[in-house]
This record gives sequence, C-alpha cells and structure tokens, in this order.
Amino acid sequence: MHLTGKNKAAIVLGLLPALLVYVVFAIYPILQSFYYSLMDWNGFTDMKFVGLQNFKNLFQDPLFWNSAKNNIFVVAASVLGQIPIALFIALLLNRKLKGVKIFRTIGFIPVVLSTVVISLTWNLIYNTKNGMINELLRSVGLDFLTQNWLGDTKWAMISVCITVIWQFIGIYLIIFLAALQNIPEEVLEAAKIDGASEWITTWKITVPMIWDTIIVAIILCISGSLRTFDLIYVMTHGGPSHSTDVMALYMFNETFTNLQYGYGSAVSVVIFFFSLILILLVKKLLGQKMV
Amino acid sequence: MESTLKSNTRSKLVLDQGSKKKNIKNTLIYAVLILFAIINAYPILWMVINSFKSEKEFAVNQFGLPKTFVTQNYIDAWNTANLGVLFRNSIFICLIATIITVLIGALASYFLARFEFKLSKAVYTFFIFGMLIPIHATLVPMFILLKNLGILNSPITLLFPYIAFNLPITIFILTSFMKSFPKDIEESAVMDGCGIFRIFWSIILPMSRPAVATVIILNFIHNWNEFSFALVLINDPTLQTLPLGLASFAGQFTVNYGAQMAGLTMSLVPILIFYLLLEKEIVKGMTAGAVKG
Repeated sequence: MHLTGKNKAAIVLGLLPALLVYVVFAIYPILQSFYYSLMDWNGFTDMKFVGLQNFKNLFQDPLFWNSAKNNIFVVAASVLGQIPIALFIALLLNRKLKGVKIFRTIGFIPVVLSTVVISLTWNLIYNTKNGMINELLRSVGLDFLTQNWLGDTKWAMISVCITVIWQFIGIYLIIFLAALQNIPEEVLEAAKIDGASEWITTWKITVPMIWDTIIVAIILCISGSLRTFDLIYVMTHGGPSHSTDVMALYMFNETFTNLQYGYGSAVSVVIFFFSLILILLVKKLLGQKMV
Repeated sequence: MESTLKSNTRSKLVLDQGSKKKNIKNTLIYAVLILFAIINAYPILWMVINSFKSEKEFAVNQFGLPKTFVTQNYIDAWNTANLGVLFRNSIFICLIATIITVLIGALASYFLARFEFKLSKAVYTFFIFGMLIPIHATLVPMFILLKNLGILNSPITLLFPYIAFNLPITIFILTSFMKSFPKDIEESAVMDGCGIFRIFWSIILPMSRPAVATVIILNFIHNWNEFSFALVLINDPTLQTLPLGLASFAGQFTVNYGAQMAGLTMSLVPILIFYLLLEKEIVKGMTAGAVKG
C-alpha cells in the first residue's frame, strides 16, 4: 500500500524544504539570466531594456566566435581523445588477467581530484623553465623540442586539451567496463565456437552490444567539455592572446571584468541553448546508426 | 607407434606456439596497461616527490627521489597559503552542505517515491531538470541574488548554491532506490500507529543506507572540488575554500615551485586516502553522478 492522498499536509511539509532551496537558488537564477539578457546593465545603476541588442552584439563580436571555436576544439579533443582511449583500455581490462583491479584504481584517480589541483599540477608540468616535460626532453637530448607550452599561441590549446583528456578518461573507463561486464558470456562463447577471431568479436559483437553506453558517454563528454571553465581559468586564463578562450570564460570576463551583466547573461543563455542543441544533434546522429 | 609419437610432438609444438603467442599478447597488454597507469599516476607522483626537494635539488634532480628530505616547502605553504584556514572553511562548507542536501533530499525523495499524489511525477521531473542547467549560466544572477539577500561573502554563502545544485542528483539516486522497496513495508508500521515522518526516519532512511552513502560521497566530492561559485561569490581571503585559496596562492607565488607543490600535495592527500579507502562507493557515486549529470 502506498500511502495515499489523505496526508496532503505531510506531503507539502516534506517536499517544501528541498523545493524552496531548489527554486530560489537554482531555478530562479536561470530564469533571471534570461531576463537580464535583455537588459543593458552594469550591475549597479538602473537596468535599461534593450531587447535583443545584446545577442546582436554578441554575434558580431569576433572574440565570441573565437571562444566558440576554441570550445568546439575542446569538445572535439575530448570526444576523440577520451572515448577511444577509455574504450581501448576498458577492452583490455575486460579479460581475466591478474592485477586488473589496480589499473582500474589508478585510472580513476584523476577523476576524484579537484580541477584546480589538476590545473596547477599541470601548470608545473608544462612550466618552461623547469617543468617536467621540458626537463624530460632536455634529459634525452631533445632540447630543440622544448616549448613554452602554455605561453605559445601555437601550443597552448593543445596543451590544455591534453590535460582535459587526462582528467576524465577514468570516468568513461569505468562506465565502459560496467557495460562490458554486462554482456552475457554465452554470446562471446558462441562467437568463439563459430571461429570468430578476437578482433572480429570485438568489432562485430562487443562494441555494438555496448553502443548505447558509448552514445551516453559521448553525450556526457560533450556536455562536460562544453562547460570547461575552471581548468582553463586556472591554467591560462584564456591566454595567450585569447588562444584558449572558451565561451564560459568569455562570459565570465565580459560580466565580472567588463561589468556587463546584461551582456554576460546573454552569453549564458547562448551557452545553455548551444549545449542543448549539440546534445540533441549527437543523440539524433549516433542514435540511428547501428541500432 | 612412431607416427602417433610424431603427431603427439607436433600437437605439443602447436600448443607451445599457441601459448607462446598468448604470452606475447598478454605481455603486450600488460605493457599498454602499465603505460596507461604511468601516464595517469606519474604527474601526481612527480609533484609529491618533488615537494620534498629543496629548490636547488629540484633544478638538477627532478626525476629521482630526494637526496635530502626537505620539509621547508610544507612550512612555507602552510604559512603563506593559509592552508589551515582553507581546510577549515572547506570542511565546514562541505559537511554542512552535504548533511542538509542529503537530509532534505531524502525527505523529498521519500514522498516522491512512497506516496501517490497528483503532482508527484511533475515535481520529480522538475527536480531532475536541474541536472541540465549549466552552472555557469547562473553565476551572474546568483551573485546578484545573494547580494540582494545580504549573504554575499559570508561563511554560509556557498551553502545555498551547493545545496540547490546537488539536490537534483541526490533526489534522482534516492528516489529510484526508495521506489524499489516492496509496497507493504509501511503497512505494518501504520498499523502500529507510526506517523509518516516516523516511518521515514526509522524505516525508510535506514533501509536506504547504501544509496545514502553514495549520495553523501558524491555531494562531498562535488562540494570539496567546486571552484566557480566560490570564485564569484567569495572575496574575503578568510572565507576562501581550498580550491579557491590554492588558485590564488599559486597566482601569487609563481616562482616558489616547492611551496606550490607542497600545498597541492597537502590538499590532494586527504582526498586520495578517502578514495583508496572507499573506492567502490566513490566510483559508484561518481559514475552515477556522471551518467545522469
């Protein structure tokens, strides 16, 4: 018996605390950002209604397009880096080998660390003077390959993306492993008896069987990397000369550095819809294939 | 006789070749896995090891173990980065936010999972929608809202966004768990004259222990690592949380690598220990958070 409607007062009382906090501090702010996006406002003086002017300005700002382009680069690097590597390692770990658990444990470590700690650690690694990478190159006599990894417009974005990829492989690794372990053993046994090689089994049976999980992972990867902010804020602050600027960072700077609260809110709204559209698109494209 | 012997040795030979092939394959697999493990762990290990070296030694011997164990970096980091204060603030915010989120989240989940009422589904969907909201889109209005409410830059400022944005995943996990209980659980309790809230506190909540553990861990790690809200909402150095404090510390002391590494090491060791002790729970919580987040 589910307790039924006679306890209305209790139900209201029970839901109220959570609903109140959630509405005031999560829903109300997101609605406000839609409202502010139509205003010209520096956060202190009176607001002025300007309609869609903020959006118009936004779409004409080359710096915004630059940040959007960089953002897509981060998304592409994450999807093409994290998903295949995680899948590959997961396939390797999904055998009855000794010591597999240790690799899983180590693989997940970066996921639990805070992005700030990761960013600062990698800043030290990329350091020009005595960072790990340049030091390593020097020690094997490849001095000419040393770079100012985060200070050179040519390398900064690539360096940042490597850190992004490194940070989140673990989570997809675990997701894929869980899916792989759900494949019934008989299916793979049957393929083996039919004489299918491991390569064929992997591509024709294993991967299609976890295809749904792979799509979920790709969507997660897109929505996560689209929101990249902390990492780039700490590592490069969008520099050098906007080469690592992403949309959330552009919004942050426009709002809190240039004090354009209305304009910044317009950027927020664009980010919100941009990520929604991208995710729906991926769902549509990948969802129909192979199923 | 001779021929069987021959075929025997031949089949043995084939077998040998097969297992040899398998051996090579396994060795290759291990090589790849070890490489993966090194790439994953070495950056952290490198930093931890070097945090014990003097500046001089760091410049000449980056990849070996420290020849002399130096703790000066730790003293410097602790004093200049105000780590004591940062730890205290982070622990305070994380504990309070996690406790409140899980309590009010569990209470809401109880009513959403165990009661039938008209708006039940709508309220649930409304909560789950929160997982789609990009946090960065709320930074500006959140700043203004808290400013208007007069709770900007206070010890409790961060509680509000942290609780609000962790409620959706908390309710999602707890509701689906509580729904799985058989329907007649409350029946006998009601017969015994138990009140609705009493049933929640002494029956449903204890039964949900595994899911509650998952959401506690998930909440704690989210809050412990959170940076964006802290960056926008906290100005006062004495109120900074660990990630915020570390970021500004590193910004100010760009040349003192040793102290930076010591500070980072101190901040990551607790979470690493926490992870190694509760690995199964943490992995479960964080992947659940990711899959639905």
